[in-house]
Amino acid sequence: MNSQTKSQFIAVASITSELSAVMVVAKEISLAAANAKAIAFRAGDKAKGFQPITDFINELAKETIELVTNINVYALLLYRLTVNEYRRTAAYNRFEQVAKLAVGAEYADSMQEPIAQAKTIMQDCQRQFKRDVTQLLGQLEAVMHHARAARVIAANSRIEASQAGEYLQSLQAVAESVDKAAHTIHDNVQRCRIALSIYRNS
Amino acid sequence: MKMTKIYEGAHQWVMFGRDENKPDNIIDSNQYIVRTANKCLLLEPGGTELFAPMMAAVLHHAPVEQITDLFASHQDPDVISSLGLWDQALSNAKLHAPALWEGYIRHFGCESIEYVPIPDNGETIKLESVELQIIPAHYLHSPCNFHVYDPVAKILMTGSVGSAWEGANAPVFVERFDSHVEKMRYYHQRMMPSNQAKRAWIDRVRNLDIEILAPQHGRMFKGDDVKRFLDWFDALQVGTGV
Repeated sequence: MNSQTKSQFIAVASITSELSAVMVVAKEISLAAANAKAIAFRAGDKAKGFQPITDFINELAKETIELVTNINVYALLLYRLTVNEYRRTAAYNRFEQVAKLAVGAEYADSMQEPIAQAKTIMQDCQRQFKRDVTQLLGQLEAVMHHARAARVIAANSRIEASQAGEYLQSLQAVAESVDKAAHTIHDNVQRCRIALSIYRNS
Repeated sequence: MKMTKIYEGAHQWVMFGRDENKPDNIIDSNQYIVRTANKCLLLEPGGTELFAPMMAAVLHHAPVEQITDLFASHQDPDVISSLGLWDQALSNAKLHAPALWEGYIRHFGCESIEYVPIPDNGETIKLESVELQIIPAHYLHSPCNFHVYDPVAKILMTGSVGSAWEGANAPVFVERFDSHVEKMRYYHQRMMPSNQAKRAWIDRVRNLDIEILAPQHGRMFKGDDVKRFLDWFDALQVGTGV
């Protein structure tokens, strides 16, 4: 296995690993939203501005979980494609070796068709991989968008929390945890994007 | 890859082996083809590492599109791990291999090649007008194992039975049986698990008219050495690993 193939396998495998961490964090946001909702309810009029924000937070967490679930399915398909591309490339290379070794053999020419077929299939796999990576990067961008939105919500939450009197600390803690989660999601997804970007369609 | 024609009649048998370019840390193995006018059967196609030299050698005898049948005596990688590559090279081929091992052998890659499962009691492979008998050889050494007998060429391809671990320069036929025995003893004692299975197989093959006994590793036996081998194997205690 050459180093290019190895990095391809590692890039695809790392997506699943990074995204499972994102999933955990998204679930934490969902929990923070439920917590914030309960606090805001208790705070009544003092946290009036905070109440609609909790729905936003919850919605964002749900959408992130859904997106990541879909990306994971896609990442598995990409992994299978990588395995297939590896097998096809290995076969093509062996067939080329056969052609070299068979020089002078009576039926050496009969190898040309399998070589041509193997080359076409290998190139199709490579093109498909690039297409899928481009699509996956688009999906990852959507998760990044959610992370950015979560940070804006966290900033708004802080402002609204400051009006909440004795509930200030609890609501600020919620804002902090959303902000921290947004950062983690951003960083993990960014690592996925960097790992994959070298394989995208130019 | 050395090529030796071992039968020439209305059809041919060719033995391939002693590949000088194979990596040192993989075992040397013998592959065989049975060639008829329009078809070619590959017996024990070999491991992945051997695919390129083996295919190149076969192209001296048959075009790719006429390699229509493959046979694997059992599931070991030195026998059939090249399957995934043959699978991508051959457009219309069948693999005759033990039914018991189908789910295992398919791990090597078998999408376009048709897997023809051999039942426990054996069967016949028809290659144009040539009929090859698939002889059960279970537990020798694999629990589900077969040999191939050609009654016209009088060749019995015996897979692991008769094998010896030898270098890439060894002659293809046994020349002095008595000295060859020491090259086979440990292999058979350690690799063959059952004296009962061994006796059943010997009883079966003693009824066959055999001119050449062709194993998957080491040298082939010809003429009187076939009987000498059967007598020697009959007397040998096997299953010494426990």
